[in-house]
Amino acid sequence: MRRHFADAVFFSLVMAVAFTLLAVKPVAGQAPAASRPNPSSAPAARTPTPVAAASAKVPTPGQFPPYKAPRTADGKPDFNGIWQAFVTADIDVQDHDAQAGPHPDILGAYGAWPGGQGIVEGGEIPYKPEALAKKKENADKGMLVNITSDDHRHDTGDPELKCYMPGVPRANYMPFPFQILQTPHVVMMAYEYARALRTIYMDANDKTIPAEAPADSWMGWSHGHFEGDTLVVDSRGFVAYSWFDRAGDYHSDALHVVERYTQVSPYHILYEATIEDPNVFTRPWKVSFPLYRRMEKNIQLVDFNCTEFVLDLLYGQYSKK
Amino acid sequence: MRKNWGPLSSALGIASAALLLAPVLAAQSSASPKKTDAAPAANSAAEAGTGKAKNWVMPRMTDGHADFSGYWNNLSFTPMERPAKYGNREFLTPEEMKAVFKSGVRGSYDPGAQGSEDRYGGELFNPDSVDYDATTYGLSPWQNGIKPNPRTSLVVDPPDGRIPPLTPGAKTRLAAGARPAGGFPYVIDDHHGGAVVHADRAKDLGQGTTCTTQSGGPPLTPAEYNSGLFIAQNPSYMLMETETGSEFRIIPIDGPPHAGFNIHQWHGDSRGHWEGDTLVVETTNLRPDHTYRNGDPNTEKITEYFKRIDAVTIEYKFTIDDPSTWTTPWSAIIPMSASAGPLFEYDCSENNNDAVNILAGARASEKKAAEKPPVPISQK
Repeated sequence: MRRHFADAVFFSLVMAVAFTLLAVKPVAGQAPAASRPNPSSAPAARTPTPVAAASAKVPTPGQFPPYKAPRTADGKPDFNGIWQAFVTADIDVQDHDAQAGPHPDILGAYGAWPGGQGIVEGGEIPYKPEALAKKKENADKGMLVNITSDDHRHDTGDPELKCYMPGVPRANYMPFPFQILQTPHVVMMAYEYARALRTIYMDANDKTIPAEAPADSWMGWSHGHFEGDTLVVDSRGFVAYSWFDRAGDYHSDALHVVERYTQVSPYHILYEATIEDPNVFTRPWKVSFPLYRRMEKNIQLVDFNCTEFVLDLLYGQYSKK
Repeated sequence: MRKNWGPLSSALGIASAALLLAPVLAAQSSASPKKTDAAPAANSAAEAGTGKAKNWVMPRMTDGHADFSGYWNNLSFTPMERPAKYGNREFLTPEEMKAVFKSGVRGSYDPGAQGSEDRYGGELFNPDSVDYDATTYGLSPWQNGIKPNPRTSLVVDPPDGRIPPLTPGAKTRLAAGARPAGGFPYVIDDHHGGAVVHADRAKDLGQGTTCTTQSGGPPLTPAEYNSGLFIAQNPSYMLMETETGSEFRIIPIDGPPHAGFNIHQWHGDSRGHWEGDTLVVETTNLRPDHTYRNGDPNTEKITEYFKRIDAVTIEYKFTIDDPSTWTTPWSAIIPMSASAGPLFEYDCSENNNDAVNILAGARASEKKAAEKPPVPISQK
């Protein structure tokens, strides 16, 4: 499903040209060089090129022509940019119908949740029977918030509702952008939602960075490496409290996530994550969806520090009546 | 006095030389683009300990500009404003410097230790508010690579080391009850051996206790503990993560103009540009309820200057320019020392026992008071 090779022969004829033209880091607010007239080489610009012919084809969803990602100055595929998913998996990673959402009597269509098709390969999450019961209980109590001064505060209520950190992979399909900032040592993933932050350690030889998570965390302990144009991120050391969606899909502290970020066009990353947790699932399972490059010319993350919005939700039971 | 601050003058010498050589080094870097900059700061710190610091070369990114990537710590025992006893003296004697540092280290993990005027003369450190035993939590300054600071105050301009007077307009504004950035104090001494907690709802606890925001700047000022900073940088962006609250700022370098006037952010809207090897970061668009030192959100501009002066030090300077709040702009220098990484995720709101316990305690006190009204002192 990742690559469409039907036109491979045709593309092999044009790739020598296309690589050169496409492997340029896109700039927000600018069309790629290949589709812009080049005033300094007028004759070439007037001649239809194989690239122009290729891009004249209407793209087929789920299929990306062969593509080579631009490179950073140190020769690595360049993932820098601001990205966002456009799936509804934050509501439910599996197929779901549109629904009214909470309190339609006051929220009306503002509060309604869109339907959408799932991102889980094969459609179903392979829960153990007892774990499936827990997922259903989570869903039933998704808006039951009871914040105590101990870990029981996590017993009920979707962490998203409480503005807690989203965890992995949920952070990547929240309806908010996130920025990838790449250096020779680390890949930073900075999320607009709840200002969550991940550090992906890229230097396996850096002995100052522990191989194993020194402590459990919401966003996990992540090491990364490149496989061709793909950034592979291996994360463990998660707390047991984050959920995958508003439908109560969850994991334990044995969660292990392997993510693959593959650049498939100047404007798309194909995101795949394999989720493993022997306490909750009978086998590893996989989600995948595209990430889209945000191209507004003034694009930047802005604050969504939702903690200030949930103070009375979290602590209202302790407020003066 | 000058001979007493040899280390600083030599550091300045290195910095000046680096500035002069910048174009040459930049040219060399761009001629050999495969040259990767840079051991992480932690390695540099280790090298410094073995004496290799003398051969230090400014780490550079592939585009030739200075690279600040790594782990730093800006814990300081130097008061923001110069204590009166130093008069116009800008630098401590070596003996004074050692004494201030020793007192600061002791006080940082022993709240009962007697604080010196040097340490507590400013407002950065309050011995009564130190609530962690740093020996237990591994937060001791000596574990963070902090070096003694030869200055008598962090404020370096005006030359008297004091923050300039408020404008008449600012005095009026603040007297009219502008809410302090950190919120009002919610624990009030009742002067009868107890305290009264004024916290009707969570918002009354202020931005820090509610985990709304705790750090991140600008400017980057030290805290009593967890003063760690992580910088990840590439030619287009610098990301700064502050340890407390894991808050971050992403600063476009030579990027687009500031966000529009109606965008207000907890850490403002920052833009960076290079002046030689100094990264200059200008921040505006602060939230009205989170300006620096209750400045005017419409006029407060914060300019930060990042300059590496040796293998283990960033000289960090900031200038506050807010003509509607202070009569003149003012500046402070807070050195950042190379520190060992990594930083750990700081889940604050996700684990906020304080908010629950303080509010629940306040309600319990109110209930108890209602059940048994206190006897007025006059009738005791």
